[in-house]
Amino acid sequence: METQDQAIRVVIVDDHQIFRTGLRAELGPELEVIGEAADVDAAVEIIERERPEVVLLDVHLPGGAGGGGAEVLRRTAGVPGVRCLALSVSDAADDVVSVIRAGARGYLTKTASGAEVTAAVVRVRGGDAVFSPRLAGFVLDAFGAGTGETALADDELDRLSAREQEVMRMIARGYAYKEVAAELFLSVKTVETHVSNVLRKLQLSNRHELTAWALSRRLL
Amino acid sequence: MDRPALTRPDDGRLLAGVCAGLAVHLGVPVAGVRIVFAALLLASGAGGILYLWFWATVPRAGADEGIIPMRRVLTRPAADRGAAGTPGPAPSPSAAGKTSVAEPSAARTSAAKSTAQTASAPTTPAQKTHAPTAAASSVPAPSEPAPADAREPAARRPIAEVVLGASLLIAGLALVLTQLGVDLRLEVILPGLAVLVGVGLAWWQIADRDRPERNQVPRVLGALALVAVGVLMFFVTAKQPSAWTVIAAAVAVLIGVALAIAPWVLRVNRELIAERSGRAREAERAEIAAHLHDSVLQTLALIQQRSEPGSEVARLARGQERELREWLFRGADGGGPEERTEIAASLRAHAAALEAEHAVRFELVVVGSGGVAPDPIVAAAKEAMLNAARHAGGEATVYIETGQDRVSVDVTDRGPGLDPAELPEGRMGVRESILGRMERAGGTARIVPGPGGTGTSVRLTMPMPVPQDETNERAER
Repeated sequence: METQDQAIRVVIVDDHQIFRTGLRAELGPELEVIGEAADVDAAVEIIERERPEVVLLDVHLPGGAGGGGAEVLRRTAGVPGVRCLALSVSDAADDVVSVIRAGARGYLTKTASGAEVTAAVVRVRGGDAVFSPRLAGFVLDAFGAGTGETALADDELDRLSAREQEVMRMIARGYAYKEVAAELFLSVKTVETHVSNVLRKLQLSNRHELTAWALSRRLL
Repeated sequence: MDRPALTRPDDGRLLAGVCAGLAVHLGVPVAGVRIVFAALLLASGAGGILYLWFWATVPRAGADEGIIPMRRVLTRPAADRGAAGTPGPAPSPSAAGKTSVAEPSAARTSAAKSTAQTASAPTTPAQKTHAPTAAASSVPAPSEPAPADAREPAARRPIAEVVLGASLLIAGLALVLTQLGVDLRLEVILPGLAVLVGVGLAWWQIADRDRPERNQVPRVLGALALVAVGVLMFFVTAKQPSAWTVIAAAVAVLIGVALAIAPWVLRVNRELIAERSGRAREAERAEIAAHLHDSVLQTLALIQQRSEPGSEVARLARGQERELREWLFRGADGGGPEERTEIAASLRAHAAALEAEHAVRFELVVVGSGGVAPDPIVAAAKEAMLNAARHAGGEATVYIETGQDRVSVDVTDRGPGLDPAELPEGRMGVRESILGRMERAGGTARIVPGPGGTGTSVRLTMPMPVPQDETNERAER
């Protein structure tokens, strides 16, 4: 009864039937899959019609203008209350950057377990960002954490603050948010705020023309 | 047949290397050959003709390099053309028969014969004057062997060589016949030769694809000019102009130009086709890669996701996924998958080896693109990964950060945990290979509980080494 009331309405967008079926079977009871789509146009249509809370979006999709997941994000940007979590087998930095900058709230690889995906969906529904270790590593790399660049003001878009770097480092080491919080003596809420800030910077920053930069590098 | 092939060597030559080449080929002293040629030259230039004929038909040693500027071809013959004189019948059958001689393989056997033939050519001033025409046209002469030579990778039809050789033969025969008093119509033959030489030169361009593109324009212009001059001469020398000769002249000029341009058209077309098919191949490759990426990688990911962690199936799928990924990324830029730092490459290889043996899955996160990480930290990190694989299994993360002045590697697992204060005596791996090694190398190693209090996180840090040469000096001391 309780799960019925609070089930998060999810749409799975992926061009592989086998993956959609597999993912659907794996997702926890907190989620209710209300639809599936296999290409860009079908995805846009179902998102506009069903208004799901969370869209599980594959980065590589056929159809539309060839823009894949990022195109779905752009075309449904006006639909209120819809948040997207990107799922991909790709590790290419340009794929990651394109969907994140198009508005995805997080990025997971498809090897993530059903429980991980479920947890991530819950988090995205709550308005938080979902960072996998690789995405965290990518952010650290893109924002020059290795070279010791730190933002002096919190609202600086092109650099991460020292705390944000710390949080990203822990996530890159494989720590969950709760574990990061415990390790850094922060509240989970603070960690989530830091992560959301980093996501915002990743989406808005023009640092080194992030997209072009990502093309030249690969997240192997 | 075990003689060295007849070529024109670059070393030890005086003019074009004909004498030197003949000497090597026939096994006689080069001085002797030169004397014979000099003597023949005295015989009203017969030696010169023979020399030029060899020059045109014998390939240069080390074949296909160098372009002889067309300027040499174009400047010399211009003055020498009008010298034609006595009329006579065209020696077409014999010329056609001799054309095959132009092929170097045949040239060897027929060398003596043609020597005799040309040597018997009588003296005439005309011979000397128009000989340079043919000679000059054949200056950039066959630098590649004929198709008979199978070792040449890109065998082509020796159109240019045949045309040039035939022109020279015709010129020689015409002179012989003129001297014998035969009625030879030189005013027809000479323009004809000019046309032939021009077409030959133009056709040559088609075989020149692999050479640098310099001197293309003058060469082709020269070829075109020769064709035009030849065609015009036909009709200028004709005695009674009429409407038909004018029309014929126009048509002939058009044909001549078409002939001369044909190689260009063919060549452009050929390149277009090659480019198009290359693009099609690339597109097909990309499509296959995209398909593999989308379908096979997905399936492998699904298998890993749905199978028991650490099971044989998961391991196989993981290994296949890694191989496929490497192949896909290799395809994208033609080279191997580029690893940004050496340490990342070496740890990734290590992770692959461990995953094949143990029920573990390493995720590598690489940050920064600093210099070369020192060996001790790489070795210690490998040891830590081995520990994680052996004692923890499951998911493990390797975080590599290379900065300007330091490099750090963290190996984090979610295994049973490891308390460095209570290390069993037998665990030399941790005590020596990780802690001791890092300490000796001037780095730090900490072993802390992993995320959420379970598991282990091994954190290694070392200062980046000073530039390579200084390190070497210090090591030698």
